[in-house]
Amino acid sequence: MTAVATAPPRARRRFTGSVGLLALPIAAWLVFFFIVPFGLILWYSFGEKPSLYVTHSNDVLSLARYVEALDPAFLTTFWRTTQIAIVGTALCLLIGFPIAYWMAVKLSPRARGIVLALVLVPYWTNFLVRTIGWQITLSPEGFLSDFLNGIGVLNGPLQVLYTQQAVQLGVVYNYLPLMILPLYVALERMDHRLLEASRDLGGNWWSSFWRVTIPLALPGIMSGLLLVFVPLMGDYITPSVLGGASGSMVGQMVAGQFQRAQNWALGSAMAICLMLAILLVVILFGVLFKLIGVALARFRHLGDLDRAGAIS
Amino acid sequence: MTTHLVDEARAGEVTLRGVSRVYGKNYAVRDLDLHVEAGEFISLLGPSGCGKTTTLRMIGGFEYPDTGSISIAAKPVEALPPYKRPVNTVFQAYALFPHLSVAQNVAYGLRYQKTPKNEVRERVSEALQMVRMGSFAERMPAQLSGGQQQRIALARALVNRPAVLLLDEPMSALDRKLREEMQIELKLLQQQLGTTFVFVTHDQEEAMTMSDRIAVMNQGRLEQIGPPDAVYDAPTSAYVAGFIGQQNFFTGELSGGPGAWSVTIPGGTVVSTREPAGSPVVGGVTEVAVRPEHVTVSATPTGGPNEVRSTLMSVSQLGSALQIVTITPEGLKIMARSPRGIDLPMTPGVDVYCSWPSDAVHIFPTTTATESE
Repeated sequence: MTAVATAPPRARRRFTGSVGLLALPIAAWLVFFFIVPFGLILWYSFGEKPSLYVTHSNDVLSLARYVEALDPAFLTTFWRTTQIAIVGTALCLLIGFPIAYWMAVKLSPRARGIVLALVLVPYWTNFLVRTIGWQITLSPEGFLSDFLNGIGVLNGPLQVLYTQQAVQLGVVYNYLPLMILPLYVALERMDHRLLEASRDLGGNWWSSFWRVTIPLALPGIMSGLLLVFVPLMGDYITPSVLGGASGSMVGQMVAGQFQRAQNWALGSAMAICLMLAILLVVILFGVLFKLIGVALARFRHLGDLDRAGAIS
Repeated sequence: MTTHLVDEARAGEVTLRGVSRVYGKNYAVRDLDLHVEAGEFISLLGPSGCGKTTTLRMIGGFEYPDTGSISIAAKPVEALPPYKRPVNTVFQAYALFPHLSVAQNVAYGLRYQKTPKNEVRERVSEALQMVRMGSFAERMPAQLSGGQQQRIALARALVNRPAVLLLDEPMSALDRKLREEMQIELKLLQQQLGTTFVFVTHDQEEAMTMSDRIAVMNQGRLEQIGPPDAVYDAPTSAYVAGFIGQQNFFTGELSGGPGAWSVTIPGGTVVSTREPAGSPVVGGVTEVAVRPEHVTVSATPTGGPNEVRSTLMSVSQLGSALQIVTITPEGLKIMARSPRGIDLPMTPGVDVYCSWPSDAVHIFPTTTATESE
């Protein structure tokens, strides 16, 4: 303790200075590729589209674009997007957790590398290409349709493509690796002897899972949920390829304003709404997890034991 | 785990009959018979890979025997999972739950016994006081030292009042001083509680200090079992003789008969009044073992039965004694342990005489003896 206290303050200051310098590239990156574009979007969202051939103008500032953005068509799509994102994230967790658990706990270290590659290779493949792959698979004339007709499960062409279900399937497929990876890291880091200890102390598999595995995997679950949910909310490739009219998402509407309608002001207002909504949901996630944490502490049956200070 | 209603006197009994565990083609444990009395402190002692940990894990329920039966409190348990056995384990690296406080760690098992909340609090407090960690209830495991973590692991296991406590090399991560303190403390605790302790260690001193009986294991088999002094004074094999304490080993041809055996070694003869272990063959090659503390080193010949002239190589201080190493003209090294202050020229290279009483000589059939230390 004293050694730290008496360390020469000069050396420490110089150290802090050099650390600040090292942070410069990331700070510049953030300023130019996040803060500036975000500021521009925010700024444009208060403007208007003055004429057919001009994308935006900030001569007159108002909140009119927000009013315009929040029309019923946008809200319907927005609600559908949120639905797809929440269901998609939940499905990714439900599918991803057993896979990550199997990889981290059951597989031999050598097999883990191979399975990890199997998880990652599709992810490295071009996003559009893999989504088009599903378009081919799900199309009414596709081989899946033929196969299902052949074995008699289906009578008539497969009617899944260009629906919300197709988008749901597509996003789960596209974002699953982003869920598996953080879960795998969290579970792999867990000391497996803790599960033995739990079993030794009277817990069966299921109880040990809830009292040891889940609490220790919680940081991984959190990052997985965020890594999947946030980009999923803004996804527009998957619904563009698989969704058709009945499965469109907000990302497409934003892109439409920027690319087709050339109305950057309205597109910006929509984008800001989307970002606020994501932020809101992330905050809700945070609150929810705090509550789960409290509930788990209750479940541990001794949440109040420490605080009561009865033990000394 | 659950408090079984069994005959009190037999609650802590553990019996293994013909237990084997095979990994691939190798026997980790082979045809093991072991009976542990209720309230006994027994050590499974042996080098790494001798099967002692596998044996412990089979008693705990983390591994299942391929053949044989295991019973605890006179009830067969070999098919039961760990959480249905009346045993608890102190793991080698303690395996404390990092997300739970010390109190929550200790209380972990009580939940499964459906202990009422007030009683949980009492018993946790009691268990922490027992290991002298009462003021650490609110800490997290990461905030504790290795020795403190070990005490918590002990409290977490004992709070459940198991019939048998299994300890898997719990001291191996502690420094020597702390380890010696913990050995005494653990022994006192065991005597006070009367719980059966099955203790796995590779440290023979540790086993000697604490155990009522020591089971020496080698290559998956039980070599010898008995009280520490019996295992030390009357080893039944060269392996046990070499593993427990230090030995001088010589190899030579056996002659003589009951009461007066002798073994011809290079440059002399070793005589013994003890019966050889196993089935001795006169004329066959045998191993002779003499403990360093039985060897007397003197500057002049004493005319005793087992006397070898040799050259002093080194003298080192052990604190309470001296360790003397000499070498005979034939190249045999002899190690001796003498009290300090003996009358001896301490310069390496001088001639000395090593001798030992003939009742301190053990004769074994030839095996590949492994010397400890």
